Amino acid sequence: MSSRFARAKSRACIAVGVAAALSASVGVAAATAAKPAAKAKSSTFVVGATSSVLKLDPDIVTNFLDFQALGVIYDPLVQYNASSKIVPDLATSWKYSNGGKALTFVLRRNVKFDDGTTFTSANVVASIKRAQAKATDDPSASYVASVTKVVPQGKYKVKFVLKTADTSVLDGLTSVNLAMLSTKAIKAGSVAKKPDGTGPFEYKSYTPDQSFTVSANPSYWGGAPKLSSVEFKTIPTESSIAAALKANTVQLGLMTDPTVATHLPSSFKVDKTLDSSYRAIMINSTSSPFSNEDNRLALACAISRQNVVQAALLGQGESVGPVPLGQYKSNPTAAICPTQDTAKAKSYLAAAGNPSGFSFTILVSDDIDGTTSAAMTEVQNELAQVGITMTINNESTSQYVQDWLAGNFQATYAENGANPNPYVMYNRYFGTGASLGKPAGYANSTLASMLTNADAATTPKAEASDYKAVSTFLTKNAVWDWLFDGYQYAAMSSKVKGFILPPDRQLYSLKSVSVG
Amino acid sequence: MLLIIAKRVISTLITLFGVTVVIFVILRLLPGNAIESAMGTNAGLLSHGQILQLDHYYGIGQSPFSQFFDWLGATLRGNLGVSLANRVSVASLIGSAFPVTLELAIMTMILGVLIGVLFGVIGALRPGRWGDAAGQGVALVGLGIPSFVLGTAAVTIMSSGFGYFPSSQTYAGLFSDPWLNLQQLFFPALVLSIGIGAAIMRTTRTAVLDVSTQNFIRTARGKGLRGQAVIWRHLFLNALVPVVTMSGIQLGYLLGGTVIIEQIFVLPGLGRLLVTSINNHDYPVVQSVTLLFAACFVVLNLLTDAICALIDPRQRDN
Repeated sequence: MSSRFARAKSRACIAVGVAAALSASVGVAAATAAKPAAKAKSSTFVVGATSSVLKLDPDIVTNFLDFQALGVIYDPLVQYNASSKIVPDLATSWKYSNGGKALTFVLRRNVKFDDGTTFTSANVVASIKRAQAKATDDPSASYVASVTKVVPQGKYKVKFVLKTADTSVLDGLTSVNLAMLSTKAIKAGSVAKKPDGTGPFEYKSYTPDQSFTVSANPSYWGGAPKLSSVEFKTIPTESSIAAALKANTVQLGLMTDPTVATHLPSSFKVDKTLDSSYRAIMINSTSSPFSNEDNRLALACAISRQNVVQAALLGQGESVGPVPLGQYKSNPTAAICPTQDTAKAKSYLAAAGNPSGFSFTILVSDDIDGTTSAAMTEVQNELAQVGITMTINNESTSQYVQDWLAGNFQATYAENGANPNPYVMYNRYFGTGASLGKPAGYANSTLASMLTNADAATTPKAEASDYKAVSTFLTKNAVWDWLFDGYQYAAMSSKVKGFILPPDRQLYSLKSVSVG
Repeated sequence: MLLIIAKRVISTLITLFGVTVVIFVILRLLPGNAIESAMGTNAGLLSHGQILQLDHYYGIGQSPFSQFFDWLGATLRGNLGVSLANRVSVASLIGSAFPVTLELAIMTMILGVLIGVLFGVIGALRPGRWGDAAGQGVALVGLGIPSFVLGTAAVTIMSSGFGYFPSSQTYAGLFSDPWLNLQQLFFPALVLSIGIGAAIMRTTRTAVLDVSTQNFIRTARGKGLRGQAVIWRHLFLNALVPVVTMSGIQLGYLLGGTVIIEQIFVLPGLGRLLVTSINNHDYPVVQSVTLLFAACFVVLNLLTDAICALIDPRQRDN
């Protein structure tokens, strides 16, 4: 009987062997066949990102990859350069007049939309009108809220009439949300279905949750791009983006995780730039314990921002002040306590009548920001050194957003969007009738006036001085605790030439990229 | 017989209706909505008028009651609605994602059954010997190491060692580019099949061992039947019912349980669609995908019962 079982076993063994050999042969054959398959696709330059393009209408997008992908199809009137300075795009020059209440643009000539129509002042009028229309729901409409009229001054000149002097209009106009649209497309109602811009690339195809492809615009006013087509491919994890780079199925990977980006083989170039967002502890000063300014100052002095950067981002970031980028960038060493100063923190606690410290709860969401746990644990330990007990309340994304919007917290760890123009960044929090006044947790009429005056300043010198005063006010009064700014990474093969990742993370430089 | 079929169909419909209600309620109980998901904390910048506009745009301004019956009515008419996130029809999103997951699940099951049944039979025929020990070792690895660890390791080794990661290329359909399609699905299926194969192996081994001690096996041997006939016709066939049941259950789980592997191997399947849609509070997509998962599970259960009845006359009689 045992010989029968032995025969059965040997046949079963043979079957397993055959199955294993079959599997292995498929694997090996697949491996050997893979490289030609990858090469066949090499004419398309593939950009890997963890998110996917969600919407095609530039006026309503909110997802960052949408801005990046549509940003290579559409041109704004002006844009930021690598130093976050406003430079010409479809407007070649501009000038304020009438005490800052009129802004006149001279427009670029010989610019064509993908539908063949020519860009003129009529497009500017139609584009701003569409952005301002309630039915559009343009999230950047507030940037042009002060624009009462857009008046054509001939075919290639246009005047913006403003309610009040407002220099932040220019910063708003850099956004893809306020890009120039084809009048023909607006009339046809096709803006949300088929992107039609004047940029270096034109829309080719879109597969939701998978890819968004553009092809070179041969009649681009700045000269046709070298890449014939670019695909924005959704790859859900950064480690998979790194794997795709190594397999050469992706030529440019957009990343935020330093543990992935900095561990790529040396044959890859990794560009990094400070992110256009910053992390801060937003403090609710409307209730105890932070209604007492000395408690806020104690918090500011008890925290070592440098250690927080080390803990949260393995040192791959910088400690920042209220204005983290651009020409009005705050000097982080000008803070009340640029480095941890526990003696000073204790003296502030004593002045507040809390010599042995106090307790508070901080609202966080690990789902929104991967740095949360490490950063908050570090802050918790540092505060404990001066007797401040911080309890961490970690919520899901949706619950966090709701509590954040309602200002339902004593303090919250937040990643907020930065802008080179401090008025754009902070008027929404601290301006008169601020829309985000509740989460800001601090209202002060002096600060609101300072912001309004800075926005109305018509000379660069006055603007710089006003914004420095705003920055000083925010740190002196410990309105919030500004912690750090992390890096964004763009990893690419060393054969990729000409790519630059600017602070606003736009991918305009794809027009100059070539693959050697 | 007709009565049995009618009963099963009615219970299936009740189950599916229950699933729709539960999912609808759970989604509405989650804090936040599609507007906050799309805009995050910037939702605070919207004016009241803009919020009303967006409520209308996303179709979330109506009462939950009318939202549910509107959606159910449309679904029964074959209209699954439009994705809130990107305004694409849900049917087309599911239409492109379902074949990917189905193909992955089938390929995984083929590999899993192959591994599980063969190692299970080998182990049961000579328990305690080297073949059995090897099978148990594979089962231990398969059940003990999570598929995302195996998947990440496989991707890292393939890409770093061989510059090979076919799944990161644009997904190729089975009929448009079968060879690339096979490359893209083989490795994720292999990773998934190790866990599935381990479960099937243990079931097979236990079932074969159990049946081998039954009187009818002894009788079959006693009346002089050849070893092969005893093993495959009497022993294996009688041990097959729990194996088929286990395989059916595993296939059901696979259709909804490939989420992480689809993320790691960049496969645009249903699991990835579901995760993205939950994050975006994209109610029509989540409801439809969940309903599809439930329907697949119910159908697979029915099929499993039918196959078991086909194999085992006792179940047919019952």
